[in-house]
Amino acid sequence: MSTLTLESLKAGSRLEKILARGEFSVTAELGPPKSADTSLIAAKAKLLAGNIDAANITDNQTAIVRMSSIGAGLLAMREGIEPIIQITCRDRNRIAIQSDVLGAFALGVRNILCLTGDHQKFGNHPTSKNVFDMDSVQLIQMLACMRDQKKFACGEEIRNSKKAPVVEPRILIGGAENPFGDPLEFRAIRVAKKVAAGVDFIQTQCIYDMDRFEEFMRLVRARGLHEKVKILAGVTPLKSAGMAKYMRDSVAGLTVPDSIIQRLEKAADKAAEGIRICIEQIEKLREIPGVAGVHIMAIEWEEKVAEIVKGAGLLPRPQVE
Amino acid sequence: MLTGYSKVLILGCGTCVTVCMAGGEKEVGILASTLRLANRKEGRSVAIDEATIERQCDREFFDTVRDRISNADAVLSMACGVGVQFLAEVFPDTIVLPGLDTKFYGATVGQGVWAERCSGCGSCVIADFGGICPVTRCSKGLLNGPCGGSQNGKCEVDPKGTDCGWQLIYDRMKKLGQLSKLETVTPLKDWSTTRFGGPGTIVKEDALP
Amino acid sequence: MRARSAAARITVLLCENSAWKASAELPADSALRGVDFVKIPCSGRVDAGLLLSLLEHGSAGVLAVGCPKDDCTFLRGNYRAEKRVSATRAILREAGLDEGLVRLSFVSAMDAHRLRESVLDFKRYLDDNSSS
Repeated sequence: MSTLTLESLKAGSRLEKILARGEFSVTAELGPPKSADTSLIAAKAKLLAGNIDAANITDNQTAIVRMSSIGAGLLAMREGIEPIIQITCRDRNRIAIQSDVLGAFALGVRNILCLTGDHQKFGNHPTSKNVFDMDSVQLIQMLACMRDQKKFACGEEIRNSKKAPVVEPRILIGGAENPFGDPLEFRAIRVAKKVAAGVDFIQTQCIYDMDRFEEFMRLVRARGLHEKVKILAGVTPLKSAGMAKYMRDSVAGLTVPDSIIQRLEKAADKAAEGIRICIEQIEKLREIPGVAGVHIMAIEWEEKVAEIVKGAGLLPRPQVE
Repeated sequence: MLTGYSKVLILGCGTCVTVCMAGGEKEVGILASTLRLANRKEGRSVAIDEATIERQCDREFFDTVRDRISNADAVLSMACGVGVQFLAEVFPDTIVLPGLDTKFYGATVGQGVWAERCSGCGSCVIADFGGICPVTRCSKGLLNGPCGGSQNGKCEVDPKGTDCGWQLIYDRMKKLGQLSKLETVTPLKDWSTTRFGGPGTIVKEDALP
Repeated sequence: MRARSAAARITVLLCENSAWKASAELPADSALRGVDFVKIPCSGRVDAGLLLSLLEHGSAGVLAVGCPKDDCTFLRGNYRAEKRVSATRAILREAGLDEGLVRLSFVSAMDAHRLRESVLDFKRYLDDNSSS
């Protein structure tokens, strides 16, 4: 069972230390480029550095081919960003994923987020074959097994030979949950399964419907899960009423209350209002027992992350040694 | 696919594909008539023969059409992919062509509607999921679902048509009072019993000659 | 545009509960020469197999005539006929043939005039589009 303490760190990442100290953590998202051009990563990293504790490096998000999350994550590290490498089950089997985890750890990666992955139908190669050798819960279990039991999924020890030392990848394991997916009651059960599988932190889908999220958190607390896993609530600042409506109508598992849409419609400066709403949301989320941090997914709007974090009173970010 | 053949036998199958109205006697007749009309219009001289046998996945049933198969330049089999290949296996010197795109092996869920129910994975997990197979019914085959794309009982891959397999599992297990079973983490599946472990063969010793 | 050969006849399939009765009232009429009227128990009897086989065996075109919608003796026979005729037209289209070679219309037992119009209209279509 997973509780983070400073005395016995699992991976020793900055994110782990901040979560273990019980400080409200801030993560953001850094989407890799759709080409081999690295300048985009440097530019995005510059906007995020110092304002967040770690950044998720997405893994071919929405099944659109991008630079690999490990490759882009290493480039982000060079720019002073601690990466949370996302790994989905869509494109790789247990052999490829374990091998990538060894490689990523060897290169300095300390946080990995385990995801099922969007169906290839939504991406730019809809005629491809998917893998799904496992699901996100099993992926969490596999990484926990590698770290804590020092064994591969097949049961073999992680060492080069019988005489060689065991060198296991020590990774902080993340998972995701969509509090707005159906069935609601099962969403907390799914968090429980991820906790049982060995997850250390959970990032949620972006939250607009505060009532439903509070209901979700009530179910989570009823099971005592908030004491076993650090939950980072997801937020996405809205640029316009149009974007809010799009999120409401086109993104599976998202509800955007009318009150938010109306506020954006009435506002003279829509973008400023969107940022204000986002800051208010973070303030509300901080009040909910069991919320250990916030995950800011500013879609193609990374330049606003600093403003949001500052506005929410979360600067400066804590230092770790 | 049929270009260049002057004597074509369209061979239907009297079992599964007849029941699902895809490759039985009736569909053979429709295809044969259509081809003859099209050939006539294009001025092609092709002899289209038609026949339907009981099954194309058992050797014995080919006996009644052996001569007609030998006489044809090519046989267009209206059986599932299994029948097409077995026909080719039984008649190694005959050109065999597939008449159908075999999509899955399913059940008749309503008049004129068929849906996939089993992937033939070789190690059945249905007992753990309220009689519903997550490997087949979930678009991602998740054993610890549902994913975030489950909305209003539907799968985001096809929100109008396909049910979320995991919503079905959840509802049914709730009804059966077995919801607590879903709280256990289902470990990695052994896929070696599936097609990924190589083509399957089953030998029943007591049935051997 | 060429005239149909004298041998190619048009087949009209008539539901015995309506169109067949209407056909009994048709006056002797040279315009209807070359048309074979065939009694069927219900327009729902029509399907792709039957229609294509008639075309294959020499019909220039096949017109099925059923009872008016919602007035089928077998309740939904004419709705079935509608779906099946449209499925047959799709097959013809896919095979590069003229989908207009099969057609469905609906008349009541009392409507000999409408039946005649319907047959003549189909005949005109075939005359105009005949390719052989």
